[in-house]
Amino acid sequence: MTTTAWFDEQDRLTPEDLLTVTFPVSRLGRRGYEEEPVKLFVRAVHGEFVRLVNERASLWQEVQRLRRRILAGATEGDPQAVLFGEADAHVHAVQILSTAQATADRYVADAQAYSSRITEEARLRRDHIMSEAQQHSDMIMEEAHSRARDAAVTALNLPAPVQTDQERQAAQAELAYLRTYSDVYRAHLRAYTEGVLRGIEEWERKEATTFQATAQEQQNGLNGLNGHRSIGP
Amino acid sequence: MDVVRLRESFARVTNHGDELPLFFYSDLFIKHPEVRDMFPVSMTTQRGRFVNALMKIVSQVDRIDELTVFLQGLGRDHRKFGAVVEHYDAVRSSLLATLEHFSGPAWTPELAADWHEAYDLIGTVMLAAATEDEKLRPAFWRGTVVSHERRAFDVSVLFVRPEPRLDYLPGQSVSIECPSRPRLWRFYSMANAPRPDGLLEFHIRLIDGGAVSMALTSDAIVDTDLRLGPPVGVLTLDQPPSGRDLLLVAGSTGLAPLKAILDQVTTMPQPPRVQLFFGARDTDGLYDLDSLEKMAAQHPWLTVTPAVSGQPKFDGETGTLPEVMARNGDWSRHDAYLAGPTEMVEEAVTRLDSAGVPRHQIHIEDFGWSEP
Repeated sequence: MTTTAWFDEQDRLTPEDLLTVTFPVSRLGRRGYEEEPVKLFVRAVHGEFVRLVNERASLWQEVQRLRRRILAGATEGDPQAVLFGEADAHVHAVQILSTAQATADRYVADAQAYSSRITEEARLRRDHIMSEAQQHSDMIMEEAHSRARDAAVTALNLPAPVQTDQERQAAQAELAYLRTYSDVYRAHLRAYTEGVLRGIEEWERKEATTFQATAQEQQNGLNGLNGHRSIGP
Repeated sequence: MDVVRLRESFARVTNHGDELPLFFYSDLFIKHPEVRDMFPVSMTTQRGRFVNALMKIVSQVDRIDELTVFLQGLGRDHRKFGAVVEHYDAVRSSLLATLEHFSGPAWTPELAADWHEAYDLIGTVMLAAATEDEKLRPAFWRGTVVSHERRAFDVSVLFVRPEPRLDYLPGQSVSIECPSRPRLWRFYSMANAPRPDGLLEFHIRLIDGGAVSMALTSDAIVDTDLRLGPPVGVLTLDQPPSGRDLLLVAGSTGLAPLKAILDQVTTMPQPPRVQLFFGARDTDGLYDLDSLEKMAAQHPWLTVTPAVSGQPKFDGETGTLPEVMARNGDWSRHDAYLAGPTEMVEEAVTRLDSAGVPRHQIHIEDFGWSEP
C-alpha cells in the first residue's frame, strides 16, 4: 500500500512561500506592475492554495478510511463496523463544529463591518457639516465686516451738521459699524441655523424610514435567523 | 527533542491555514464543552493569536531564556481568563490531536514524543508563573466606573475605582473587559500616576466598529463594574532616573500613558525638563489641551506644544506629529516616550533614529504576547 503525504515533497511551493514572497521594485522610470494589485492577487492565490491543500488532505483521509474498510471487509467480513468508526465520527463532529464557528465568525464580522460603516458615515457627515458651518461663518463674518465698513465710511463722510467735535463723529461711525455688523450677522446666523436644523430633521426622518424598511426586510426575509440576533457587537 | 523535526512538522501543518486553529478549538470544545464559555463568540482574533503564539514558541524553542520570559507573561495573562491546571491538559490533548490530524502520514511516534516534550516545557513554565503570580495579586480587579465625560466627538474620559487597590507604574496599561462585551479584553493605559484614593483615569477613543470602545464611550457606562487585568507595559521612566530631559510625543489618546508619566514627574524633587507634543487631526481632537496648559502654567519645567495635521487654519503647529517633533528641536540628549497610532509611532521612531537619538533612549509600548 502506498501513501502519499501532502507536503513531504521537497522543493514544492507552499502557501507559506506565497506569504513571504517579495519582488524587487522596478527602477524609477521603468515600467512595472503596481504593488497593491499584485499583493491582492498573491493573497487571493494564497487563500485558494490553502483551500486546495485542505481539500487534498480531507480527500486523502477519506481514501485512508475507505482502504481500511476494504481491508476489513476482506478479512473480518463486516465492513459496516469500519464504515464509520469512532475516530471518524469525532473528526466529522469537529468539522461540523468548525463550520458552525466559521459561520458565527462571519455573522459577527458582518455586524461589525456594518456598525463600522455606520459610524464612519456619521463621522464623515459630521466633518462635512462642521466644515460647511465653518466656511459659512467665515463668509458671514466677511460680509458683515465689509458692510459695516461701508456703513462707517458713509457715516464719516456725512456732512458734519455744525462743527461737532471729531470724537462724536468717530463714535457715530463706530456705532453704525457695530449696528450693521450685528444686524447682518444675526440675520445670517438665524437663517443658517434654521437651515442646519432642517437638515438634521430631514436626516432623522430618512434614517427612521431606513430603519423601518430594514426591520421590515428582516421580518420578511430572514425569519429563520431570529435565533442569531444575540450574536454581534 | 529534535528541534529541526519539530519545526518542519509545524511548518507543514501551518500550510493548512485557518483550518488548523479551527480544528484545534473545535476538538477542544467537543471534548470539554465547559471551556467554550471562556472565549468570545467570534473566534477569529483568538485563532490568529493562538497560531502566532505557537509560531513564536516553535521558533524560539531552542533559545529557552527568551522563550521563558514570553511564556511566563502568557501564563500570568491567562489567569484572568480563568485558566487552571486541568485546562493545560485539555489543551495538550487537543493540540496533539490537531497536529496528528494535519500531519497525516508524517505523524510518527518520535514526532509525537517531541511535541509532548515541547508542550511539557511550555505548560510547566506557564503554570509556574501563574502559580507564583497568584500569591501576589488577584487574577483580575473589579473596576467601577465612577464618571464619564465626553471630551470630543469620539473621545471620552472615564474614572474607575478598582477593588482592591491596583498599583502600577505610570505609563502602564491594563486590559479591560466590560459586561456587555463578554470575553473581549482591550488594553487601555492609565492616564494618571497611582493616587491616594486609588482612582484610575482612562482616555477612550471610539474606534469605528470597535465593540469595546463603543460600549466604553457611551454615557450608560457609569456605575458599570468592569474587569481589569493586571498592569502590563514597559513605557515607564528609567529606574534609577537617567537624569536626561524628557520628550513626550502623544498622538490622540496616546496621551494617556504620557500624562501618567507627567503626573509622576510633578512629584519628583528635581523634575527634568519636559517637552510634550500633543497632536490630533483637528482642534476637536486635542481633547485634553486645557488641563495640559494648566499644568504647563504651574510648572516651569513643562512645555506643551499642540499640533494638528488636518486643519489648515490653526494658530500653532500644523503637520503630522513626527514632522512637528522633528523640526522643533534636537532630541539626541532626551529620553523620548512615544504613544499613539502605530503609524505615527513608527514614523517618529524613524525620525528620531535618523536624528541620532540612541535606540535605548526611545521608549515605545510593546505588549509582547497580547495585542493592545
